[in-house]
Amino acid sequence: MPELLDNKTVFTLSEVSKSIQKTIAERYKSLYWIKAEMNKLNHYTHSGHCYPELLEKKDGKVVAEMRSVLWKMDYQRINKQFLAFIGEPLREGITMLFQAAISYDPLYGFSLKIVDIDPSYVLGELEKEKRESIFKLKSEGLYEANKKLDFALVPKRLAIISVETSKGLADFFKIIQGNPWGYKLSYTLFPALLQGDKSILSIIKQLEIIAENFEDYDAVAIIRGGGGDVGLSSYNNYLLAKAIAIFPIPVLTGIGHSTNETVCEMVAYKNAITPSELADFLLQKFHNFAIKMDQASERIVRASRGIFQQENGALNALVSAISWNCKTLLLQEKSVLKNINLDLQRYSKLLIKDDFQELQHIERIINMANPIHLMRRGFSIVRVNGQAIHQLSQVNIGDEISIQLVDGKILSQVRGLQEKEKNNG
Amino acid sequence: MDKKINYREAFEELQQIVVAIEAGDIPVDELTQKINRATLLLDICKAKLMESETEVEKLLLKLEQDQDRSTAE
Repeated sequence: MPELLDNKTVFTLSEVSKSIQKTIAERYKSLYWIKAEMNKLNHYTHSGHCYPELLEKKDGKVVAEMRSVLWKMDYQRINKQFLAFIGEPLREGITMLFQAAISYDPLYGFSLKIVDIDPSYVLGELEKEKRESIFKLKSEGLYEANKKLDFALVPKRLAIISVETSKGLADFFKIIQGNPWGYKLSYTLFPALLQGDKSILSIIKQLEIIAENFEDYDAVAIIRGGGGDVGLSSYNNYLLAKAIAIFPIPVLTGIGHSTNETVCEMVAYKNAITPSELADFLLQKFHNFAIKMDQASERIVRASRGIFQQENGALNALVSAISWNCKTLLLQEKSVLKNINLDLQRYSKLLIKDDFQELQHIERIINMANPIHLMRRGFSIVRVNGQAIHQLSQVNIGDEISIQLVDGKILSQVRGLQEKEKNNG
Repeated sequence: MDKKINYREAFEELQQIVVAIEAGDIPVDELTQKINRATLLLDICKAKLMESETEVEKLLLKLEQDQDRSTAE
């Protein structure tokens, strides 16, 4: 009861607070549906209770703020509903529609005791956030930015944003390392949280680190998997999606889920959906290059063979031309030689024959001139003192003469000389 | 000396003798000498010519054989 002090009615603090508690309890008897942004969830893992900070903003300014309490049992129930209905745990930074009792506690003061949260409203909010992210990126002209980048012909150097223990990452490596063509790629792992609210900043931070040395990589791969379809709304976040869209090298996503495509996946250079498909996509790139190389080498081989065949043909033609011409030339020369040979035989024999005839002719003349033949026909040689005479003037009457015949000589004496009668005819 | 004389020289001498004989101004005694000389020269020429003939025959035969061989190739 209040006490009277110097004509003043004085209440104790507990009396005031109990009065307020009573008034509030009488005034706000039922549960109310309230719309507010949950700025912070303030979940204490030890006790399991949450103490969410609630806000209302108008034109970016906080116009109302209130503390709230979400007891462990309620939190667990609501969180289960959220996961089942929208695939997302209860998270902060989103406008919610919740049912709460308005309460006042002398010790803890004024607060809203949340007993239920409408997941379908939150779903709408999440969809709204996603649409807004897409709209903003499109109006800034960034939505297609990453897709327009040139992709490396052979993506050999990969920056991977993932978790070492991720099943998705294991699937990815299993396919890359098991490829039958022996394609190899080098990679650097940039560990990050891949789901839930904290993944946004975690991934952005790693993207920033990669961006500092982006020339060292051909592409960035964000790989997740095996974590179920929970906590993926972070991939609709405007900041994360923008970081991916404006990234200087292609970003590939293999987040692995069965729900709708997230904004990050939409703006990425390529959304492979699962880590396995991401691995296949990279191998296909290697393969495309290898096929072109094979085709090129085949064409080189074919073209070279063609050149060799051509040159061989040309050489063979030359060889046969040379051989044919030589043979013709040889045949010609042989026939010339044969003719010369024939001529030689004919003319050398002829020449010798001519010489023989000439000699026979001379022989005949010599024989004819031989005085022995004349003597056989009755002619004889008359000599005076060993000198053959052919004129009367060479002898005188009484001279001793010798008359030469074929088989001997007659010795005689000149008795008279008789001159030959001159005839006028 | 006569054996060393070649065909051309022997033949020329022979012709000179023939020309002299044909001219008819050789005394009988000289004529006998000339004829003896001519007979010797004729023998020499005939011998040389025969020698040449067999040599040429031999060479031609060889030539023919060579040609036959090269044609066979």
